[in-house]
Amino acid sequence: MKAGELAERIGAEILTRRRDDDVDIGRVYAGDRMSDLLREVSEGTLLVTNLGTDGLVRLVDLMEAPGICLVSGAGASEALLAAAEEHGAVVMVSPGSLFETCGRLYEELEGGGRRNG
Amino acid sequence: MDSATYPIAGGDFEHGGSASKRLKEMLKRLGADPKAVRRTMIAAYEAEMNVVIHALKGVMKVAVDPEQVEVAVIDEGPGIADIELAMKEGYSTAPAAARALGFGAGMGLPNIRHNSDLFSIQSEVGQGTRVRFSILLRRAAAMARAANSLVIRPERCRQCRVCLHACPTGALRVRGGRPALLDHLCIDCTACIDTCMMDALDMPGRGDIPAVGEESTLVLPNAFLAQFGPTVTAYEVVDALRGLGFGDIRLMEGWQASLRDAVLRHARDEARAKPVLSPVCPAVVNLIQVRFPSLLDHVAPFVTPFEAAREELTAAHAVFAGVCPAQHTILRAPNVLTRVDVVAPMVLRNAVLPRVRAGKTVTRDTEGRRPESGMVQVSGIQHVMSVLDQVENGLMYDYTVLELYACDQGCFGSPVWTEDAFIARQRYERAREVGRLLPYDDLFLRRGGAVRRTTPLEARRGLRLDDDMAVAIRKLSELDRLARQLPGHNCGMCGAPTCSALAEDAVLGRGCLDECMFLGEARSELAVHEEDSR
Repeated sequence: MKAGELAERIGAEILTRRRDDDVDIGRVYAGDRMSDLLREVSEGTLLVTNLGTDGLVRLVDLMEAPGICLVSGAGASEALLAAAEEHGAVVMVSPGSLFETCGRLYEELEGGGRRNG
Repeated sequence: MDSATYPIAGGDFEHGGSASKRLKEMLKRLGADPKAVRRTMIAAYEAEMNVVIHALKGVMKVAVDPEQVEVAVIDEGPGIADIELAMKEGYSTAPAAARALGFGAGMGLPNIRHNSDLFSIQSEVGQGTRVRFSILLRRAAAMARAANSLVIRPERCRQCRVCLHACPTGALRVRGGRPALLDHLCIDCTACIDTCMMDALDMPGRGDIPAVGEESTLVLPNAFLAQFGPTVTAYEVVDALRGLGFGDIRLMEGWQASLRDAVLRHARDEARAKPVLSPVCPAVVNLIQVRFPSLLDHVAPFVTPFEAAREELTAAHAVFAGVCPAQHTILRAPNVLTRVDVVAPMVLRNAVLPRVRAGKTVTRDTEGRRPESGMVQVSGIQHVMSVLDQVENGLMYDYTVLELYACDQGCFGSPVWTEDAFIARQRYERAREVGRLLPYDDLFLRRGGAVRRTTPLEARRGLRLDDDMAVAIRKLSELDRLARQLPGHNCGMCGAPTCSALAEDAVLGRGCLDECMFLGEARSELAVHEEDSR
């Protein structure tokens, strides 16, 4: 699913200028441990995390994570947005907690979007 | 090869990752495969963050060639007290500040190991830690291209074809009069080199000793110490090597012993496929990959001692005396920390020889030299021949008694048996050990007698051409004349093992030169040559 459409469905806001066109999301990985996130990055994977700016910048910069979803309405730093713009990644922020956000993502990607459908 | 060094500042979380980023840019510029870049980045970033979290400062050294990227991350930090514990998933000593940033999950080192093709770590408490890993950039290509280091000099080949039968994997061909190698089958062993009398098959690394100094470490094959006859001690050899300028000398024994310990520890686990095969010889590891892939599970998960030495050495300059193509292949990989040179063992030996001989007269006279040790057993007819040659030449006086057997491992190696000679012998020795513990079983304890010979041994006719020495001399010169007419291929097609044997058969009336299928050719060449010279 296009990142823009997915964000809209889970009530998240996309913070990067590039809205949706290039990034296709097929899989979600949620976690706060750097080693796990490094390992789980792949094309089409949206990372959902509480991790701070420095780590997120590296995930985009070094691993080319295509999509990052912040939770609990957290703001994104300039550095993260700049890195995302440079590498064509999408950064979105969900108002819900990590748990709630993951629940919604699961419904959209695995459960056929029952809530909205 | 491209190389670079990037600094890493301890405690600087904001910039932690900048060295990895520079490495990534380098790999991208070189057009490395994205998957390999990804694996490199995971390993490099984890290693870099370890420095940021734990150490005061450090560096990342990288070297890239078309086959692989090699990275070393070296820090000045507290060091790791128990590396095995640190390698365990989930074990971490990271402070709370690092954990808050998503680090310190105890997955860093395991993550590096999982994402690299070769990984080593060394640490000294209070000094620092050195993590080194390499990643194959073109994995598929690297796997398909069987690396080997056999040197072929086609112009030297005399088409005896002995190598064809010596190769354990059938990797050699002689086509159009020239030896050729099927790369994917060659296991980098020495079987063909050993049989080639013309040096048409050889190892690389002939040449001079490189310029060495205090910063140079020499890695010495154990066997090197035993190449100087019965009287030169290991100490004198090492002394002579130091005299050549080497700052440090390391024996392969050190890495071999460590591997042996590690493999024995590994084998204690019930779950391992038994018998565990110790990866001590790189050619045997290659053989298992080529011919016995079903046994790959049995091979203990360590690199060979030679690879370990190459991995672990931190000297600015390392000189290796490679003794087989497999070792030369290992040395071809890039090395970020150490400038690696290769010297032919015999070149090194010839440089040492005059030094260890200084003050010792080289003589065949054994007077004044007392034999050093008791008995040695030698088995296998080729080994027995070479030992007897040495005895005849007066070059072996450090053993009082020689016990020589024609078959490998003595009568255990007779062709009548089905069990492998080495294994059968070990089993027998084991049975004897046990038998000695059983007092009621005197099978192994009952002695027979030593019976004295009553008639002296006499020489058999053997190689003598004639009982009358004058006749023998005449026959010998005739033999030489005939042998010169033969092509010297020693092909055996005539039914005699060598050209000179056929000449002898002709002289002694057992055969005739016409048996040689090349002779017509050779004679007409000779005729042309003679006409030319007229």
